Amino acid sequence: MIGSKKKRVAIAMMFLLPNLIGFLIFTAGPIFFSLYMSLTDWALTKHNEFSTEPIRFVGMQNYQRLLVGDESVFFWDYLGNTIFLMIGIPISIAGSLALALLINAKATPQAPRIRIRAGVIALVIGAIVTFFAWLATTPGPLPDPASPLLEMSAEVGLTDKSLFEVARLRSISFTLITAVFSLVIALGLIVGSVFFRTVYYLPSLLASVPMFLFWKTLYRPRGGLINAVLDPALDTIQTIITSTPRFLWYALGIALWTAAIIWAFRLMRSGINKLVHKDAGAAAFIGRTALVLTMLITAYGVGAVLVQAPQQSMLRSGFTSLDRSQTQTIADSLAAEFPTADTAELNLIARNTDGSSPDDAARFFATALPDDALPRTRTIARAQAKPLHDGLTSGDGLTSPEWLLSPSWAKTALVVMGIWTAIGGANMLLYLAGLANIPPELYEAADIDGASGWQRFVHVTWPQLAPTTFFIVVMSVIAGVQGGFEQAMVMTEGKADTITLSYYLYNIGFSDRFELGLACAIAWVMFAMIFVLTIFNFRVGNQLTND
Amino acid sequence: MPNPPTPTRVKPSTLAKTLGRAVIVALLVLLALTFIFPFVWQILISLSALTDVDLLTQTGFPPALQPENFITIFQRVDLARYFFNSFFIAGWVTILQVITCSMAAYAFSRIQWPGRDKVFLLYLATLMVPAVVLMVPNFVVVLKLGMFDDYSGLILPSAFSAYGTFLLRQFMLTVPSSLDEAAAIDGASHWRIFTTIMLPLARPGIIVMAIFAFLFNYNSFFWPLIITKTANLRVLPVGLLQFESSYGQETPLIMAGSLLAMLPPIIIFLVLQKYLVKGIQLGAVKG
Amino acid sequence: MAQVTLKNVAKVYDKKIRAVEDVNIQITDGEFLVFVGPSGCGKSTTLRMIAGLEEISEGTISIGDHVVNDVHPKDRDIAMVFQNYALYPHMTVYKNMAFGLMLRKLPREKIDKLVRDAAKLLDIAHLLDRKPKALSGGQRQRVALGRAIVREPAVFLFDEPLSNLDAKLRATTRTELKKLHARLKTTTIYVTHDQIEAMTLGDRIVVMSDGRVQQIDTPLNVYKRPANRFVGAFVGATPMNFLEGILESADGRFFFVAGETARIALPAEFSSALADHIGNTLSLGFRPSAMREASPADPQDERITLRTILVEPLGKNADVSCEFPDGTHVLARIDAREDFPVNADVQFTLEMKHVHIFEPGEFGANLVHPPADILAPAAV
Repeated sequence: MIGSKKKRVAIAMMFLLPNLIGFLIFTAGPIFFSLYMSLTDWALTKHNEFSTEPIRFVGMQNYQRLLVGDESVFFWDYLGNTIFLMIGIPISIAGSLALALLINAKATPQAPRIRIRAGVIALVIGAIVTFFAWLATTPGPLPDPASPLLEMSAEVGLTDKSLFEVARLRSISFTLITAVFSLVIALGLIVGSVFFRTVYYLPSLLASVPMFLFWKTLYRPRGGLINAVLDPALDTIQTIITSTPRFLWYALGIALWTAAIIWAFRLMRSGINKLVHKDAGAAAFIGRTALVLTMLITAYGVGAVLVQAPQQSMLRSGFTSLDRSQTQTIADSLAAEFPTADTAELNLIARNTDGSSPDDAARFFATALPDDALPRTRTIARAQAKPLHDGLTSGDGLTSPEWLLSPSWAKTALVVMGIWTAIGGANMLLYLAGLANIPPELYEAADIDGASGWQRFVHVTWPQLAPTTFFIVVMSVIAGVQGGFEQAMVMTEGKADTITLSYYLYNIGFSDRFELGLACAIAWVMFAMIFVLTIFNFRVGNQLTND
Repeated sequence: MPNPPTPTRVKPSTLAKTLGRAVIVALLVLLALTFIFPFVWQILISLSALTDVDLLTQTGFPPALQPENFITIFQRVDLARYFFNSFFIAGWVTILQVITCSMAAYAFSRIQWPGRDKVFLLYLATLMVPAVVLMVPNFVVVLKLGMFDDYSGLILPSAFSAYGTFLLRQFMLTVPSSLDEAAAIDGASHWRIFTTIMLPLARPGIIVMAIFAFLFNYNSFFWPLIITKTANLRVLPVGLLQFESSYGQETPLIMAGSLLAMLPPIIIFLVLQKYLVKGIQLGAVKG
Repeated sequence: MAQVTLKNVAKVYDKKIRAVEDVNIQITDGEFLVFVGPSGCGKSTTLRMIAGLEEISEGTISIGDHVVNDVHPKDRDIAMVFQNYALYPHMTVYKNMAFGLMLRKLPREKIDKLVRDAAKLLDIAHLLDRKPKALSGGQRQRVALGRAIVREPAVFLFDEPLSNLDAKLRATTRTELKKLHARLKTTTIYVTHDQIEAMTLGDRIVVMSDGRVQQIDTPLNVYKRPANRFVGAFVGATPMNFLEGILESADGRFFFVAGETARIALPAEFSSALADHIGNTLSLGFRPSAMREASPADPQDERITLRTILVEPLGKNADVSCEFPDGTHVLARIDAREDFPVNADVQFTLEMKHVHIFEPGEFGANLVHPPADILAPAAV
């Protein structure tokens, strides 16, 4: 309001212009530009400084190709992968809430003096325990020749001489674990909830290429930490399973399944009722949906293990991935079967599909073949691959999955990592803020009304957190539709059936084909999905947060 | 009431309470360990000799510590260059964003000019558009402006964040307008008000925005990957990935590099955690 | 030192909403002028136009001899104290006070002397190194005041400076402000919604409502000779009572007839003013203190009969809530006595020299005690 209008406009422009120019060039302009590009056949391979070919306006052709045309086999498959990876969203949101509730419980001592005292005591006890852990595990001067270590060390190629060495290292390792454990307890007691919040938050802060590289080593089938922990556990389970009558496990698996289905059915009925009648208390609906989804997935996994059913239906493609020689064999047999095909291109595809699932490979091979060749190609590719041999249910009993190398486990591996990184991230902080904003009087009133802990959660905490949950769901869905590129690029290089829509966009636009028009169309299809999902979220969210 | 209420629940005893709290603390600690132990494991790998890595799951500790991995990685790959690039790019983006966004936020929150709300609405609308939509056209823009495979192509497109403008505008709106009116009467020009009143008062918001900008661009992978081809321009994520795909067996070195790359965000977070936590929560409340 | 002149000033928002309309005021040098009115009446907007914080849509404002419509606030030689004080939270008290002087590029020793003198005057010298956060409400208020006086401006502008203080502190600060003005003799324009503040502080009061000036006069005149019904209702510790009725004349005398409930004889002094209004609907206004219990000596037709509802003793006086038979509520302030009858019909007499008769409507003009000039110039 200060100064004349003309002068104000001039001053405002001086402040705004640096940003506005960049904004128009790199944000607002490109949005419209992108919409236009998606309607053209713009491809860097056709339209570059060496070529004068004009960019043609092709209308909806790119969209048509994606959704029903020649690209649709890829598009729908990658859409499926994207949705699979989004399974992690409800689980990690539930996890974030759980972590926030745990932190918010303020179970560690609050008064500074007690905090320090408890911390110091924990530190002293920890040091003593650590010391004795070292004393107890450090090997004596002469290793017992009957030790099981002997067998183990022979297995990993150690000589007798290094037997002692292994024992010593294990002792150090054990001592180290004890020390870290004690330190965490002590720090947790001294610093309190901020310590836990910090530790939980760090993974999400670091969720980038360096951390994905690290998780890649964790997921190694042999020599990776995860399977090193999983193997002995699975052995134990295997022993239990084989020493129990089979029918019991069938019965347990079927019972779990039945319970899950009944629960899901009841939930759906009440949920639909509530949505239809805009009934009060519907806020719990989201929560129960997430809960049931989690439970269905868990039940599925447990059931699958117990019944030893093939995992085809959910995890797709019950085949091992193809190695280089197998893809070459496919290429050769395809070349023999389709004399018109370009052998060089088939060989190139064979090289590129090393590590793919047979169905993936078949789709790639089909691009070099006549239009109706896909079914036949798939048969040939599948014939090359062995039926599923990894996973929890191979013929040899329970073995650890091959994780990133296996088309049926790689996406699950990415989901698990995603949950690990996201669970303590921004969502947890948002829930913590939400919890802090709940007026304590509400809990006091609930206490006076005689609510139990669970009822307090259902009737006070959860409804009060509904706006936070709503925000988190909206943001997670937006990120989820666009996600998966970095993880897949780093950890599987797009093999093992892990290509998501954003990875697809990269492949089309920037990696090998440079079809910018088509890439823009993919982006806009993703935008449309986000838009529809967000509208849906707002519809449901408004009904659920307004009751 | 037909029946007098029977006291079914009594106040939990101190023992039960203490036990309950102990269980929660135990859960907190176990969860913390699931986040900490993987990193401990990574440190162990990074300190191992190449030949010892495969045995690490058996022994739990490397037979010989090899801290020189952290030096070797610099010799094997131009990690110093990648570090410089990452810091240089993220640093410049942050500085430019702070300048352009805080100025624009001032124009949106403190100066009355015709069309202001419409322009701001345009800014807001672009926040709804996913980043992938901008990827391809920006690629073309960068190509046409001759910024492909150049620092400018890595820095400039990110230097004008609509989100940052939005965040700072919201923050500046919380500063009472009587403060800049008082300053105007005291004799301050708009530029003076901006630098001596608004910037110091919006400092928490600016720090938050700067942290976001730095961390986001430090971790950024997709854009640097498609916009550079020279090895000299690689940022840490791209460089590390290239190293991994050419020398995938050298796990200790890769882990050493990856650990080093994770250090700056950790340090930034530990030092500025207060602001960051507030910022994330503010972004949700206002957004 | 300067005089301030507002000529036909108006403020229009969005080309439609007229927030302030046709304000004409001549503020003399050294005067303490108080704008008072209910919230939304345009008093703050007027002050902000004088300060230069709002554009002047129509008319001119001059400070001293210069029209300042297009002059930047910093060049108007004014200082302003805001309702929330607007202290810069990141600066110490000293810096807050010195900021304006620094921007005017005064030498440092001069600034230091001015700041310390002002701080001493306001008794905040010991607070100079603190930041506003560490001050109490009253201290902040003083710092805001200090920031204004240190600049030695030609005009002080106050925008409800006391409304964030508690009642007790408000009263003492009011007295101090008055003393300060007596000492500095700087032209002061003060905005408040509190009519007590207005009465106690102002040399003259500007009563505003609906964006228009209703009356400009000394506090006492505003109280005794309200220009219209609104001013009568707004100014004064207890609101004026109003009766709606018709003016009748009989036997050369005028009567105010409020339906069935009252027929009040009006004194002869009113005759000339009311001659043109016979048969018209008018309102009769009187303050509670203009009522007393009727004594036998009072003529019957100057009495009114009311049913008493409630008595609130205030010490020397008592407030009596009464009703006419038709339910019209009236408050009377009478000398307190123990045995005053409640729930009884009591006769009251009106002191005719304190009775006003207004034309109909919220802003109906005062017919019998009009002010000499509703835009009276200052007495100085």
